[in-house]
Amino acid sequence: MKLDNSLPLEYRSEENSNRIFGFWLFLGAEIVLFSTLFAVYFTLWNRTGNGPTGKELFEIGPVLIETFVLLTSSFTIGLMINSMRQGLQKAAMVFLFVTLVLGLIFLGVEIFEFVTYVNEGATISTSAFMSSLFVLLGTHGAHVTLGLLWGAGIMLQIKREGFTLDTANKSFIFSLYWHFLDVVWIFIFSFVYLKGMM
Amino acid sequence: MKKLFPVHHVMGYVFSLVLSVVALSVILWDMSLAVGMTILIICAAIQMGVQLFMFMHIGETGTKTSLYTNIAYALFVGLVTVFGTLFTMIWGYQ
Repeated sequence: MKLDNSLPLEYRSEENSNRIFGFWLFLGAEIVLFSTLFAVYFTLWNRTGNGPTGKELFEIGPVLIETFVLLTSSFTIGLMINSMRQGLQKAAMVFLFVTLVLGLIFLGVEIFEFVTYVNEGATISTSAFMSSLFVLLGTHGAHVTLGLLWGAGIMLQIKREGFTLDTANKSFIFSLYWHFLDVVWIFIFSFVYLKGMM
Repeated sequence: MKKLFPVHHVMGYVFSLVLSVVALSVILWDMSLAVGMTILIICAAIQMGVQLFMFMHIGETGTKTSLYTNIAYALFVGLVTVFGTLFTMIWGYQ
Protein backbone atom coordinates (compact mmCIF):
# COMPACT_ATOMS: atom_id res chain seq x y z
CA MET A 1 0.00 0.00 0.00
CA LYS A 2 1.37 3.41 -0.99
CA LEU A 3 1.30 5.78 1.95
CA ASP A 4 1.85 9.51 1.78
CA ASN A 5 3.13 10.40 5.22
CA SER A 6 2.81 14.13 4.65
CA LEU A 7 -0.98 13.75 4.96
CA PRO A 8 -3.01 13.28 8.15
CA LEU A 9 -3.67 9.61 8.99
CA GLU A 10 -7.25 9.65 7.70
CA TYR A 11 -6.09 10.63 4.18
CA ARG A 12 -2.89 8.64 4.06
CA SER A 13 -3.77 5.72 1.78
CA GLU A 14 -5.40 6.18 -1.59
CA GLU A 15 -8.40 4.18 -0.41
CA ASN A 16 -8.79 6.53 2.55
CA SER A 17 -8.73 9.68 0.39
CA ASN A 18 -11.22 8.10 -1.99
CA ARG A 19 -13.56 7.23 0.86
CA ILE A 20 -13.53 10.82 2.09
CA PHE A 21 -14.10 12.07 -1.44
CA GLY A 22 -16.98 9.62 -1.87
CA PHE A 23 -18.55 10.81 1.35
CA TRP A 24 -18.50 14.38 0.08
CA LEU A 25 -20.41 13.16 -2.99
CA PHE A 26 -22.96 11.58 -0.64
CA LEU A 27 -23.27 14.88 1.25
CA GLY A 28 -24.03 16.56 -2.09
CA ALA A 29 -26.96 14.17 -2.51
CA GLU A 30 -28.04 14.89 1.07
CA ILE A 31 -28.10 18.63 0.30
CA VAL A 32 -30.52 17.88 -2.54
CA LEU A 33 -32.63 15.59 -0.33
CA PHE A 34 -33.09 18.27 2.32
CA SER A 35 -33.74 20.89 -0.38
CA THR A 36 -36.74 18.90 -1.61
CA LEU A 37 -38.10 18.67 1.94
CA PHE A 38 -37.60 22.42 2.47
CA ALA A 39 -39.34 23.05 -0.86
CA VAL A 40 -42.34 21.02 0.34
CA TYR A 41 -42.40 22.89 3.67
CA PHE A 42 -42.14 26.34 2.04
CA THR A 43 -45.03 25.41 -0.26
CA LEU A 44 -47.32 24.15 2.51
CA TRP A 45 -46.35 26.17 5.59
CA ASN A 46 -49.51 28.30 5.58
CA ARG A 47 -51.90 25.44 4.69
CA THR A 48 -52.84 24.94 8.32
CA GLY A 49 -56.49 23.92 7.87
CA ASN A 50 -58.13 23.53 11.28
CA GLY A 51 -54.77 22.94 12.96
CA PRO A 52 -52.43 25.42 14.63
CA THR A 53 -50.20 27.82 12.71
CA GLY A 54 -46.46 27.89 13.21
CA LYS A 55 -46.77 31.03 15.27
CA GLU A 56 -49.20 29.33 17.68
CA LEU A 57 -47.25 26.10 17.84
CA PHE A 58 -43.56 27.01 18.04
CA GLU A 59 -41.89 27.85 21.33
CA ILE A 60 -38.50 29.49 21.32
CA GLY A 61 -37.15 27.87 24.54
CA PRO A 62 -36.64 24.27 23.39
CA VAL A 63 -35.53 25.46 19.94
CA LEU A 64 -32.75 27.58 21.48
CA ILE A 65 -31.61 24.62 23.59
CA GLU A 66 -31.52 22.40 20.50
CA THR A 67 -29.59 25.01 18.51
CA PHE A 68 -27.06 25.63 21.28
CA VAL A 69 -26.55 21.92 21.94
CA LEU A 70 -26.08 21.03 18.27
CA LEU A 71 -23.72 23.95 17.59
CA THR A 72 -21.66 22.91 20.60
CA SER A 73 -21.57 19.27 19.46
CA SER A 74 -20.37 20.39 16.05
CA PHE A 75 -17.58 22.27 17.85
CA THR A 76 -16.60 19.26 19.98
CA ILE A 77 -16.48 16.85 17.00
CA GLY A 78 -14.16 19.36 15.32
CA LEU A 79 -11.98 19.30 18.45
CA MET A 80 -12.02 15.50 18.33
CA ILE A 81 -10.49 15.51 14.83
CA ASN A 82 -7.98 18.13 15.97
CA SER A 83 -6.90 15.88 18.88
CA MET A 84 -6.83 12.82 16.64
CA ARG A 85 -4.41 14.55 14.27
CA GLN A 86 -2.06 15.18 17.17
CA GLY A 87 -2.30 11.57 18.29
CA LEU A 88 -4.09 12.46 21.52
CA GLN A 89 -6.35 9.44 21.66
CA LYS A 90 -7.74 9.98 25.13
CA ALA A 91 -8.73 13.59 24.46
CA ALA A 92 -10.25 12.56 21.14
CA MET A 93 -12.34 9.89 22.88
CA VAL A 94 -13.57 12.42 25.44
CA PHE A 95 -14.56 14.88 22.71
CA LEU A 96 -16.36 12.14 20.75
CA PHE A 97 -18.18 11.08 23.90
CA VAL A 98 -19.23 14.68 24.67
CA THR A 99 -20.44 15.03 21.07
CA LEU A 100 -22.62 11.95 21.37
CA VAL A 101 -24.04 13.05 24.74
CA LEU A 102 -24.93 16.44 23.25
CA GLY A 103 -26.52 14.65 20.28
CA LEU A 104 -28.58 12.59 22.71
CA ILE A 105 -29.72 15.76 24.54
CA PHE A 106 -30.70 17.28 21.20
CA LEU A 107 -32.71 14.22 20.30
CA GLY A 108 -34.37 14.15 23.73
CA VAL A 109 -35.50 17.78 23.40
CA GLU A 110 -36.75 17.15 19.86
CA ILE A 111 -38.76 14.10 20.93
CA PHE A 112 -40.16 16.10 23.86
CA GLU A 113 -41.22 18.78 21.37
CA PHE A 114 -42.91 16.25 19.09
CA VAL A 115 -44.80 14.81 22.06
CA THR A 116 -45.88 18.34 23.07
CA TYR A 117 -47.18 19.02 19.55
CA VAL A 118 -49.14 15.76 19.50
CA ASN A 119 -50.56 16.43 22.97
CA GLU A 120 -51.74 19.82 21.74
CA GLY A 121 -53.64 17.97 19.02
CA ALA A 122 -51.23 18.75 16.20
CA THR A 123 -50.31 15.37 14.69
CA ILE A 124 -48.77 14.51 11.34
CA SER A 125 -52.25 14.18 9.78
CA THR A 126 -53.70 17.43 11.21
CA SER A 127 -52.80 19.64 8.26
CA ALA A 128 -50.49 19.91 5.27
CA PHE A 129 -48.35 22.26 7.39
CA MET A 130 -47.97 19.66 10.16
CA SER A 131 -47.20 16.86 7.67
CA SER A 132 -44.45 18.84 5.96
CA LEU A 133 -43.08 20.01 9.33
CA PHE A 134 -42.92 16.51 10.81
CA VAL A 135 -41.34 15.07 7.65
CA LEU A 136 -38.64 17.76 7.54
CA LEU A 137 -37.83 17.66 11.27
CA GLY A 138 -38.23 13.88 11.39
CA THR A 139 -35.78 13.31 8.54
CA HIS A 140 -33.22 15.48 10.32
CA GLY A 141 -33.92 13.72 13.64
CA ALA A 142 -33.56 10.32 11.98
CA HIS A 143 -30.16 11.40 10.66
CA VAL A 144 -29.10 12.43 14.17
CA THR A 145 -30.31 9.08 15.56
CA LEU A 146 -28.31 7.20 12.93
CA GLY A 147 -25.32 9.41 13.71
CA LEU A 148 -25.51 8.50 17.41
CA LEU A 149 -25.43 4.77 16.64
CA TRP A 150 -22.65 5.24 14.08
CA GLY A 151 -20.60 7.41 16.46
CA ALA A 152 -21.01 4.93 19.29
CA GLY A 153 -19.79 2.14 16.98
CA ILE A 154 -16.73 4.16 16.02
CA MET A 155 -15.99 4.89 19.67
CA LEU A 156 -15.93 1.17 20.46
CA GLN A 157 -13.63 0.55 17.52
CA ILE A 158 -11.19 3.28 18.55
CA LYS A 159 -11.16 1.85 22.06
CA ARG A 160 -10.29 -1.58 20.67
CA GLU A 161 -7.82 -0.66 17.92
CA GLY A 162 -6.62 2.88 18.63
CA PHE A 163 -6.21 5.29 15.73
CA THR A 164 -5.30 3.28 12.65
CA LEU A 165 -5.68 4.15 8.95
CA ASP A 166 -9.13 2.64 9.21
CA THR A 167 -10.49 4.15 12.43
CA ALA A 168 -9.00 7.60 11.75
CA ASN A 169 -10.69 7.56 8.34
CA LYS A 170 -14.03 6.53 9.84
CA SER A 171 -13.78 9.19 12.55
CA PHE A 172 -13.07 11.92 10.01
CA ILE A 173 -15.97 10.86 7.79
CA PHE A 174 -18.25 10.79 10.85
CA SER A 175 -17.14 14.35 11.69
CA LEU A 176 -18.13 15.49 8.17
CA TYR A 177 -21.57 13.91 8.65
CA TRP A 178 -22.04 15.56 12.03
CA HIS A 179 -21.05 19.03 10.78
CA PHE A 180 -23.46 18.57 7.88
CA LEU A 181 -26.34 17.82 10.27
CA ASP A 182 -25.50 21.03 12.09
CA VAL A 183 -25.72 22.98 8.82
CA VAL A 184 -29.15 21.47 8.10
CA TRP A 185 -30.28 22.40 11.60
CA ILE A 186 -29.17 26.03 11.09
CA PHE A 187 -31.50 26.16 8.09
CA ILE A 188 -34.37 24.59 10.07
CA PHE A 189 -33.72 26.99 12.96
CA SER A 190 -33.73 30.02 10.62
CA PHE A 191 -36.37 29.23 8.02
CA VAL A 192 -38.79 27.03 9.96
CA TYR A 193 -38.70 28.29 13.55
CA LEU A 194 -37.51 31.90 13.42
CA LYS A 195 -39.37 32.70 10.20
CA GLY A 196 -42.45 30.94 11.61
CA MET A 197 -42.38 33.07 14.75
CA MET A 198 -41.73 36.36 12.94
CA MET B 1 -5.05 23.96 26.35
CA LYS B 2 -4.02 25.49 23.05
CA LYS B 3 -3.35 22.01 21.73
CA LEU B 4 -6.85 20.81 22.59
CA PHE B 5 -8.69 24.06 21.80
CA PRO B 6 -7.01 25.64 18.76
CA VAL B 7 -7.83 29.31 18.31
CA HIS B 8 -9.54 29.05 14.93
CA HIS B 9 -11.93 26.34 16.18
CA VAL B 10 -12.90 28.39 19.23
CA MET B 11 -13.32 31.46 17.01
CA GLY B 12 -15.54 29.48 14.62
CA TYR B 13 -17.68 28.28 17.54
CA VAL B 14 -18.06 31.76 19.08
CA PHE B 15 -18.78 33.17 15.64
CA SER B 16 -21.55 30.64 15.01
CA LEU B 17 -23.12 31.40 18.42
CA VAL B 18 -23.03 35.14 17.66
CA LEU B 19 -24.65 34.54 14.26
CA SER B 20 -27.46 32.53 15.92
CA VAL B 21 -28.12 35.43 18.30
CA VAL B 22 -28.14 37.89 15.39
CA ALA B 23 -30.67 35.64 13.58
CA LEU B 24 -32.73 35.61 16.78
CA SER B 25 -33.17 39.38 16.47
CA VAL B 26 -35.86 38.84 13.81
CA ILE B 27 -38.31 37.64 16.46
CA LEU B 28 -37.21 40.11 19.15
CA TRP B 29 -37.98 43.24 17.17
CA ASP B 30 -40.75 44.08 14.76
CA MET B 31 -39.45 44.22 11.23
CA SER B 32 -40.75 43.72 7.74
CA LEU B 33 -40.63 40.27 6.17
CA ALA B 34 -38.06 41.44 3.62
CA VAL B 35 -35.64 42.74 6.26
CA GLY B 36 -36.12 39.67 8.46
CA MET B 37 -35.57 37.24 5.58
CA THR B 38 -32.45 39.12 4.50
CA ILE B 39 -30.98 38.81 8.01
CA LEU B 40 -31.88 35.10 8.17
CA ILE B 41 -30.46 34.28 4.72
CA ILE B 42 -27.20 36.14 5.35
CA CYS B 43 -26.69 34.57 8.80
CA ALA B 44 -27.48 31.04 7.55
CA ALA B 45 -25.13 31.41 4.57
CA ILE B 46 -22.26 32.60 6.78
CA GLN B 47 -22.93 29.81 9.29
CA MET B 48 -22.73 27.29 6.47
CA GLY B 49 -19.40 28.82 5.42
CA VAL B 50 -18.06 28.56 8.99
CA GLN B 51 -18.90 24.86 9.11
CA LEU B 52 -17.57 24.10 5.62
CA PHE B 53 -14.29 25.99 5.80
CA MET B 54 -13.37 26.12 9.49
CA PHE B 55 -14.69 22.75 10.69
CA MET B 56 -15.00 20.48 7.67
CA HIS B 57 -11.69 21.66 6.14
CA ILE B 58 -13.16 21.45 2.64
CA GLY B 59 -10.12 23.12 1.05
CA GLU B 60 -7.31 21.15 2.72
CA THR B 61 -6.41 18.46 0.16
CA GLY B 62 -5.62 18.05 -3.52
CA THR B 63 -9.21 17.15 -4.35
CA LYS B 64 -10.49 20.57 -3.34
CA THR B 65 -11.47 21.73 -6.84
CA SER B 66 -13.61 18.62 -7.26
CA LEU B 67 -15.12 19.10 -3.80
CA TYR B 68 -16.00 22.74 -4.47
CA THR B 69 -17.52 21.74 -7.83
CA ASN B 70 -19.54 18.96 -6.21
CA ILE B 71 -20.88 21.11 -3.36
CA ALA B 72 -21.57 24.06 -5.68
CA TYR B 73 -23.48 21.77 -8.04
CA ALA B 74 -25.48 20.24 -5.15
CA LEU B 75 -26.33 23.74 -3.88
CA PHE B 76 -27.35 24.76 -7.39
CA VAL B 77 -29.70 21.76 -7.76
CA GLY B 78 -31.03 22.42 -4.24
CA LEU B 79 -31.72 26.10 -4.88
CA VAL B 80 -33.37 25.34 -8.24
CA THR B 81 -35.55 22.77 -6.45
CA VAL B 82 -36.59 25.20 -3.70
CA PHE B 83 -37.11 28.31 -5.85
CA GLY B 84 -38.51 26.35 -8.81
CA THR B 85 -41.10 24.82 -6.47
CA LEU B 86 -41.94 28.21 -4.96
CA PHE B 87 -42.23 29.69 -8.45
CA THR B 88 -44.55 27.03 -9.82
CA MET B 89 -46.61 26.40 -6.67
CA ILE B 90 -46.88 29.82 -4.97
CA TRP B 91 -45.56 32.90 -6.76
CA GLY B 92 -46.89 31.86 -10.18
CA TYR B 93 -50.47 32.21 -8.91
CA GLN B 94 -50.21 35.66 -7.42
